[in-house]
Amino acid sequence: MAKEYMERIEALRQQYLNTRVEMDVYNAKYLTEGFQATEGEPWIIQKASAYYNVCVKKDIYIQDNELLVGGVGFKPRAGLLCADSCAGIIADELDTISTRPFDPFYLSEEGKKVYTESVQDYWKDKCLLDRWKKMTPKDMQIMKDNGAIFIDRKAVRGYGETTVDWRMILRKGLGAIRDEAKEKLAALDDAVPGDLEKSFFYRSEIIAADAVILLAHRHADLAEKQAAECTDEKRKAELLKIAEVNRRVPEYPARNLYEAMQSLLSYEYACFMEQNASSYNLGRLDQYFYPYYKADKEAGLITDDDAQELFDCLWIKIAEMSLFQDEVTAQYAAGYCITVQTSCGGIDQYGNDATNELSYMMIQATMDVKFKEPNMAVTYSMAKNPDSLLHKAVEAISMGLTMPAIYSNDVGIRMILNKGIPLSEAWDWNPCGCVETNVSGKLKEYTDIADINMGAMVEFALNDGKSRITGEQVSVHTGDPRDFKTFDDFFAAVMKHIDHAVDVITSGNQLLDYLSMNYRPVPVLSMGFPHTMEVGKDYSQPGGAKYSVGGGVITVGQADIVNSVAAVKYLVYDEKKCTMDELIQALDADFVGYEDIQKMCLDAPKYGNDDERADFCVGQIFSHVVDQFETYDTAFGKMTCGMLPVSGNTPIGQWVGALPSGRKATTPLTDGIGATGGTDVNGPTALLKSVSRIPHARYTQGTQLNMKFEPEMLKGETGIMHGMNMVKTMSTLDVYHAQINCVDRAVLEDAQKNPQDHKDLLIRVAGYTAFFVELSKETQDEIIGRTEINNWAPVGCGC
Amino acid sequence: MSVPVIYDGDRKGTVLRIERSSVHDGPGLRTVLFLKGCPLRCQWCSTPESQSFEIEKTEENTYGTIMSVEQVMRELRKDSLFFFISTGGITVSGGEIMAQPDFTRSVLKNCRMECMHTAIETTFFAQWETIHSILPYVNLAFVDMKFFTKELHEKYCGVDNTLIQENLLKTNDIEEKFQLVIRTPIIPGINDSEEELCKIGAFCSKLKKLSYMQLLPYHKLGTATYAKLGREYLLGDIQSPTVDEMAKHVKIMERYVENVIF
Repeated sequence: MAKEYMERIEALRQQYLNTRVEMDVYNAKYLTEGFQATEGEPWIIQKASAYYNVCVKKDIYIQDNELLVGGVGFKPRAGLLCADSCAGIIADELDTISTRPFDPFYLSEEGKKVYTESVQDYWKDKCLLDRWKKMTPKDMQIMKDNGAIFIDRKAVRGYGETTVDWRMILRKGLGAIRDEAKEKLAALDDAVPGDLEKSFFYRSEIIAADAVILLAHRHADLAEKQAAECTDEKRKAELLKIAEVNRRVPEYPARNLYEAMQSLLSYEYACFMEQNASSYNLGRLDQYFYPYYKADKEAGLITDDDAQELFDCLWIKIAEMSLFQDEVTAQYAAGYCITVQTSCGGIDQYGNDATNELSYMMIQATMDVKFKEPNMAVTYSMAKNPDSLLHKAVEAISMGLTMPAIYSNDVGIRMILNKGIPLSEAWDWNPCGCVETNVSGKLKEYTDIADINMGAMVEFALNDGKSRITGEQVSVHTGDPRDFKTFDDFFAAVMKHIDHAVDVITSGNQLLDYLSMNYRPVPVLSMGFPHTMEVGKDYSQPGGAKYSVGGGVITVGQADIVNSVAAVKYLVYDEKKCTMDELIQALDADFVGYEDIQKMCLDAPKYGNDDERADFCVGQIFSHVVDQFETYDTAFGKMTCGMLPVSGNTPIGQWVGALPSGRKATTPLTDGIGATGGTDVNGPTALLKSVSRIPHARYTQGTQLNMKFEPEMLKGETGIMHGMNMVKTMSTLDVYHAQINCVDRAVLEDAQKNPQDHKDLLIRVAGYTAFFVELSKETQDEIIGRTEINNWAPVGCGC
Repeated sequence: MSVPVIYDGDRKGTVLRIERSSVHDGPGLRTVLFLKGCPLRCQWCSTPESQSFEIEKTEENTYGTIMSVEQVMRELRKDSLFFFISTGGITVSGGEIMAQPDFTRSVLKNCRMECMHTAIETTFFAQWETIHSILPYVNLAFVDMKFFTKELHEKYCGVDNTLIQENLLKTNDIEEKFQLVIRTPIIPGINDSEEELCKIGAFCSKLKKLSYMQLLPYHKLGTATYAKLGREYLLGDIQSPTVDEMAKHVKIMERYVENVIF
């Protein structure tokens, strides 16, 4: 029988599912007013003051049945325009944003007017995006225009991809942080060089803390007002409790689990409002909340059902944030996803098992709420975590929830070590965003500044640096491929194009860093990073956070480059089934009239089958990419890499001609680090073996694997046991992450035809989860087409 | 890459295919080696492409390939880590594995040398000496017993089952400590009468090494392959038994054998 608290949760779920996703331009308006009112002040003071103006004026709401309250926009699920980042971005989309195929946002006529009259003009040539466009170097422009790289994402939205020091926020409260800033400010001497800049920072911290506290108090006021008007005694009491809690937190230390959750939520929203960025992660909630839960339980203040209800409420409030992205960016990461990740399990500071009661409640919350956010994960330590935790995780997966994602805790720790953070702090790592790595309150990074099109790297090697789609010279000259005498000559050419792309992207990173340091201060976020307070530097400045690394670059099309390199070796050099000339002609013609060559290409060895003839180059190619990036330094440390193409593999594929893998021109590249759909025919163990060839721990921004199992496979206790064994082996193979989709094709196809019947159908889109019906037709088709691993059906002889 | 010591590595056999990630052919995750060629012609056979000893070609597929023991071992050991974690291993299936005894024995021996758990799926339709020479390398043997009644076996499987029954009884007197499982496919209207099931059960009760019995519900998954091979599916239209029917059959078997599953 359903638990009693599920009545509230179901009501909140329905409320959410029936809420139209709208565009909020009002925050942008108040922000703009604030900037206008402080013209001439340092940028960081302008930003903090303008943010304060937003908190004073923005519309707020409390919905029926809510226990945890707040909101980033004027309505639930509204998307925000971050004016100082990219005010101009929706100028061309005003009339189409409500109906565009990827992530539409409803924008009213009044909203359009607010935008054109109060926002647009002020930011022209002033917002970060406009400055970025003006300063874009020529080689980057060419690569960008030809789809070899995608690099505008961070010019559009600011720093997320981070995890604040939640333990400190809950323990101290923002009031104490504000008081600390006041003390620091009082101790400065503006005759000392550098102290003036520090004073700007401390002043902005004070304003930011006041702003967030004010917004909480406004919610307390509203709750009291609603309570006064409420005739239902039970709800009235709840509203008065809400008022009490919001009067208390996030200003003061949380005293119980309820206050801890509201404190976390209020500050989470506050950070999101500052930048409209993705992935302000919740981190290891089972660890942060445990002391509050334990004290409440011991004092007899709450039951486990009460705690579960709060978790469920929190999950729904997190899902309520919708990430606004412009039309182009949305194609690369569709699904309104804010990719706020949270994880349970792992180890504690002594290396002991960190699992506790709340670890299970977090998974249960995902099972209760069945929403795409938060992005729920288990950081699985095979050595330390109990089987019961893994069992609970696989149980949720077998329900078709696609969550939790499973991470190898050991590989995660190694990634953090490789980011230069010592083991004494790396144990506390948490998954970030899609599959990136983070350490709460300590690490500043842009985890994905750019995508690098790995399909194009092969294309350039086989076309002397020119794009087959546009005919333009995009990369360096590596000569006529017909002159490559050996496979090594060909392989060296591929590497040269990678080197060029790395160089171009890194110059883009330097520009982004310059712009971010000057025009993207984040006084609200900085409150969550204690080191910024110590040194008097904003999070956006080198040395602000305790640790930082250079921009993360995402390789897209892992299987495409591997399969193409393997096919050239197999067909042209080893088996001599065709000549380089024949292959080039076939690629030029997109295989039209060369169907025999295409068949040879498709039949060549493929990644994902544990086949040496394809997998031989995996380690070499991907080590080369990282080696190359690591030769470049930035103001924040060495450049970093990851493999989390989100849905970028579809738009990026449109820029790549036919490939030796047999792939036709302009079709999607392969997602994540998995095999190309339909080409992994040896089952899940073979796929994992191929995947284990990737140097995971060197890709410190994470590597993302989607596996799709039919529900059959995980059926019953035996099925769950098999799933657990799979995960354990994955961990042993040093595969960092796996996301297991467990839905059948028929359901997906029906959802495409009858979206209204499948509003809550979840699907994993490369590292995060989205509602299937909210994805574009193209992305839906691609998901349906992915290989279904269905090898666990009865085989057996004779009978 | 290091190369492990291989016993009889050059010996060749006819392999139908190798399937990884199987969970239905013994404990844990398993890799199944299907050999090609079988002396029986069971009419419900779901892998008709495994029956002929010859390599068969259709428009779409080639069924069968010649592989050496070494080549096979290279594939089998790829999932050794999965075997270790799931306490799985390898299963040699067919076709009839006893029809290629030297190849089967060498593969199994190598697997045991590499500490992999080994299972076999067989009809036991072979000379006892052949079977006996393979059993030392087997941890688990699934032996099919489709009928007790000789005439029915001859009619539906094409051979006399006297040899099969004799071989099964001989396992009572050998020292090898393998686990024996008898599998009986339930083919509605053909071998599922109470009388026939009782006879099978009574026979099995005499087997000292028997670990458990497994009843397998008939399914039609292989029928499409018959068309591809240009062969007729002789059995016609038979419905798979329901869960309730299977439970009833299990009850009958339990009169004779302690552990029965389906």
